[in-house]
Amino acid sequence: MKRQVPLVLCFVFGIAMIFTQFSPHTFSQGIHNEVTNWTHIITPFALVLAVATLIQTHWVRIRRRTTHWQYSIVVFAGLITMVAFGIRSGPKNRVFEWLYENVQVPMDATVFSLLAFFIASAAYRAFRARTFEATLLLISALIVMMGNVPIGDFLWNTVMAWTPWDNATSNASQWILDNPNLSSRRGVILGVSLGAISQSIRIILGIERSYLGGGD
Amino acid sequence: MGIFGIWIAAFLTLCIYSFLYRDNPFYRFAEHLFLGMSVGYGIVLNIHSGFIPLAWDPIYTAITEEGKQSGLVKLIPIALGLLFFARLSPRHTWLIRYPIAILIGFNSGLFIPSALQASIFEQTRGTVEPFANLGTLGPWGIFEAALMVIGVICTLTYFFFSVEHRGTVGWLSKIGIAFLMIGFGSAFGNTVMGRVALLIQRVNFLINDWLGTIF
Repeated sequence: MKRQVPLVLCFVFGIAMIFTQFSPHTFSQGIHNEVTNWTHIITPFALVLAVATLIQTHWVRIRRRTTHWQYSIVVFAGLITMVAFGIRSGPKNRVFEWLYENVQVPMDATVFSLLAFFIASAAYRAFRARTFEATLLLISALIVMMGNVPIGDFLWNTVMAWTPWDNATSNASQWILDNPNLSSRRGVILGVSLGAISQSIRIILGIERSYLGGGD
Repeated sequence: MGIFGIWIAAFLTLCIYSFLYRDNPFYRFAEHLFLGMSVGYGIVLNIHSGFIPLAWDPIYTAITEEGKQSGLVKLIPIALGLLFFARLSPRHTWLIRYPIAILIGFNSGLFIPSALQASIFEQTRGTVEPFANLGTLGPWGIFEAALMVIGVICTLTYFFFSVEHRGTVGWLSKIGIAFLMIGFGSAFGNTVMGRVALLIQRVNFLINDWLGTIF
């Protein structure tokens, strides 16, 4: 009951999803759509559990007055404000939209742009051409970066004007992306997909059971 | 509302950039506000684009309208979803396995045919397709087609651990590392440029939009 039923459910839903994708029959497609809707209904409950954990963590921080506990109030303020304005009329609520556009989107973009500074120091460490492989990494990254900005072609067309190739930086960048980069990506995608497919088969057949956790 | 929004966005942008100096209360304020608002946004979006149209509306219609009782079938996934809360009771924690098993089985079943199609067949087709038009390709085109096949085979060889990487396999594996390094370099270059583009956009906002409201 505790382990066998979940294994059977996993097998039934897995096999059903495989077969319904190969059958265009209305009945089969009806099952496919209904089960897809079921998972869309079940998933928010997992989100509620995650939010409950977040609330519990910050509530404990406030109650125990741990270091920087005041910021946990800010978390609650942000969460409650968004839910209060959005829960009734949805994401189309004017205040909700305003908060999204003027508070959340700018912060999202700024946090990711902050990585530009840290990635620069990471680049310094990664790009020291100590070995042949590191040199390849350095050269391809530099060409792709220079090919992405107008100054790359400008410099080439100015300094290397005597060569017969115009806009060679962006052309070289595109060639790297379309050829050696794509071939290595394809190798990785093929390898990862084969591994993931075999893992999925193991899960459906009940060979891989780690998702059930420990205990009975 | 427009200028007020710009000032709020500028204040929060500067709060986050203040981290470049060092960790400080302004940054921590913006960080926690971002966390809270992102979670709140996720809750609203999940409820309004998932739960209400897929579960609440069909059940409400089934109760209030004649001949629409089939909507009550949505009570099954709701009951399964509620089993997630069994996690809160140590004695009934095992019940959480039911919804997890369904979600994992569903996603595994959904993944296998789509991965076979998109990641195996399509990628293999894309790799060997240029050879179908070999007669129309020039020397450079033939070189590129061969490079693609060599790159894919060597990269796969590097990840093939069932044989020892010695001799021919070792050499193929080393060539695979070279292709991987070029791939990682390109990905790194693209990531850097993407982040720099975001930085330019934020600086552009501060200089033109925010300072534009002052001067």
